[in-house]
Amino acid sequence: MLNDLQLNSILEDFDVAYWKINLLTKEISWSEHFNYLIGNPDTGTNKLDFFLNNILHKDYRYDFREYFENLTDHYKPFTTEIRLKLENGKYRWFECRNLKSREKGLADAAVLLFVNIHQAKRDQYTIEENFFYYRETAEMTSTGGWYLDVTTNAVYWDNVTKKILDCPMDYEPHPEDKMRFYANEHHEKVERMFKKCSKFGIPFKVEIKMRTLHNREFWVRATGKPVYNNEQEVIGIRGVYQDIDEQKTNELNLQNSLDIIASQNSRLFNFAHIVSHQLRSHSSNLSLIAQLLREARTAEDKLDLLLNVNDISENLEDAINELNEVVTRQNNLKKERQLVKFKAALDVVIASTSSLIKRENAEIIAEFDKLNEINYISEYLESILLNLITNAIKYKFQGRKPIIYIQTYKENGESFLEISDNGMGIDLDEHGDKMFGMYKTFHRHPEANGIGLFITKNQVEAMGGSISVTSTVNIGTTFKIKF
Amino acid sequence: MDHPIELACIIDDDKIYVNLVKKIIEIKKLSQNLIIFKNGKEALDYFKAILENVSEERLPDIIFLDLNMPVMDGWEFLSEFVKIKNTFNKKITLYVVSSSIDPRDLERAKSFNMVTDYLIKPIELKRFEKIFEREVA
Repeated sequence: MLNDLQLNSILEDFDVAYWKINLLTKEISWSEHFNYLIGNPDTGTNKLDFFLNNILHKDYRYDFREYFENLTDHYKPFTTEIRLKLENGKYRWFECRNLKSREKGLADAAVLLFVNIHQAKRDQYTIEENFFYYRETAEMTSTGGWYLDVTTNAVYWDNVTKKILDCPMDYEPHPEDKMRFYANEHHEKVERMFKKCSKFGIPFKVEIKMRTLHNREFWVRATGKPVYNNEQEVIGIRGVYQDIDEQKTNELNLQNSLDIIASQNSRLFNFAHIVSHQLRSHSSNLSLIAQLLREARTAEDKLDLLLNVNDISENLEDAINELNEVVTRQNNLKKERQLVKFKAALDVVIASTSSLIKRENAEIIAEFDKLNEINYISEYLESILLNLITNAIKYKFQGRKPIIYIQTYKENGESFLEISDNGMGIDLDEHGDKMFGMYKTFHRHPEANGIGLFITKNQVEAMGGSISVTSTVNIGTTFKIKF
Repeated sequence: MDHPIELACIIDDDKIYVNLVKKIIEIKKLSQNLIIFKNGKEALDYFKAILENVSEERLPDIIFLDLNMPVMDGWEFLSEFVKIKNTFNKKITLYVVSSSIDPRDLERAKSFNMVTDYLIKPIELKRFEKIFEREVA
């Protein structure tokens, strides 16, 4: 048996204080450590009252008195958690319980232990608090957790995941419909990233489209990280789904607005360009003529100058027509895409250029069998074909019958249109970078107005595609459009 | 004007403007001779040929260069002309003449040392005459 002294020192080491209660006299004596904890106060004669009024947190007064009286009057043991004010004035959590006397005959004394459980209590609160924040955050951001057991393919979802996938709370995902909750167009991507993660432990963080139980598609940010066993083998993938449909839709809308603004901005820029370079040059010529008229001495000189005014007015009209063309073309942007047959578009273009084709004896060969239609704006397709075909004829190789070869095809899932000619070609080393700029003409050709390719490029890009060119001087040119 | 400039040069694709300037130079007798090019490349090829086969004395004394032209525009001409500038000693005065009122064009033109000034079309007759007078003086 340990003696009291030894026992005391052990209890102190474990930060345990105690009371001894004489059940007959109800006299209470506090252990040294207990006195030390509460700062060795002057308690007066009634230790219990002093304790209840000055040490115990008021929330526990009533309960503690009950417990205490039950113990002293009816020998009823108890265990409770209370808060005590320590010598530094701060409340700390203690567990209070009485030591059971095994020998009934000796039950004239009771011992109450006070065990400091403050740290444990605080940890518990922190965990509860963290759990609360975690749950609130998950709810608020619509972020659900999931786990995939890669050995059994079993899937576990938390409640938020079920919620964002429109599944009832008792829904259990089946391993075989793993793909069912992803949008069709992303199946390949999803397969790939799960495979990479389960095989090589490569985590993923992607934005993908998922599909709810009710087949509503929506955007999700999905993360997945490998879970390893002790042998460092991937046994599962753990991650979250975050419903970002609203953000994604906003983002896409924003991108759309940006695109529209960018294209309107470039239209404004072109407008300024035309006004500055085209209109201004005519008006400045007019003003120069006015100056010269003032100085001209003979009637003949004056008449001569007036003839120039006629030329200027014609040029001015051309410039205004071009301006009108740019503006009207841009208005087509509002039109909807629809399936357009290449053959139908080409027929329209050939009909409208028949006189040019006939005059130059041009031959057009078209092969649309690999790809005969495209989801596009028909006016654009016609305009693109028109510009490229008239270009090919305009810049033919002198003395050579112009042949234009048009074909469409698919490659790596992308749609292409190619228009090749046997014309005079362009030196791309010299002109390549500004090929599609406005008012860039590369041929000393009277019909070159420098606006066709600029418009073509604008139209192709407005539809989300791109245009490129290859050319050899004196051999011919090929334009390639990726839709 | 007792000693007008010997050779002036206009590089511009605007026929009407060129005709008017030609007329001014003739009427006012501002230059003995005038050569006209439709774009930068024609002018550059000609200058190169002169330097190779004739003499730098036959280069123009003054050049009026337009910016917006087909085939080779004013900017490209300037950067090519810089390259051959060191192969001769003759002093050539070069004016950029454009209808562009874009301040960026003005800045860019002034970034070339050989550009004496940037003239905005329409050029004023008085100013034009002064430019020639200054050259002679």
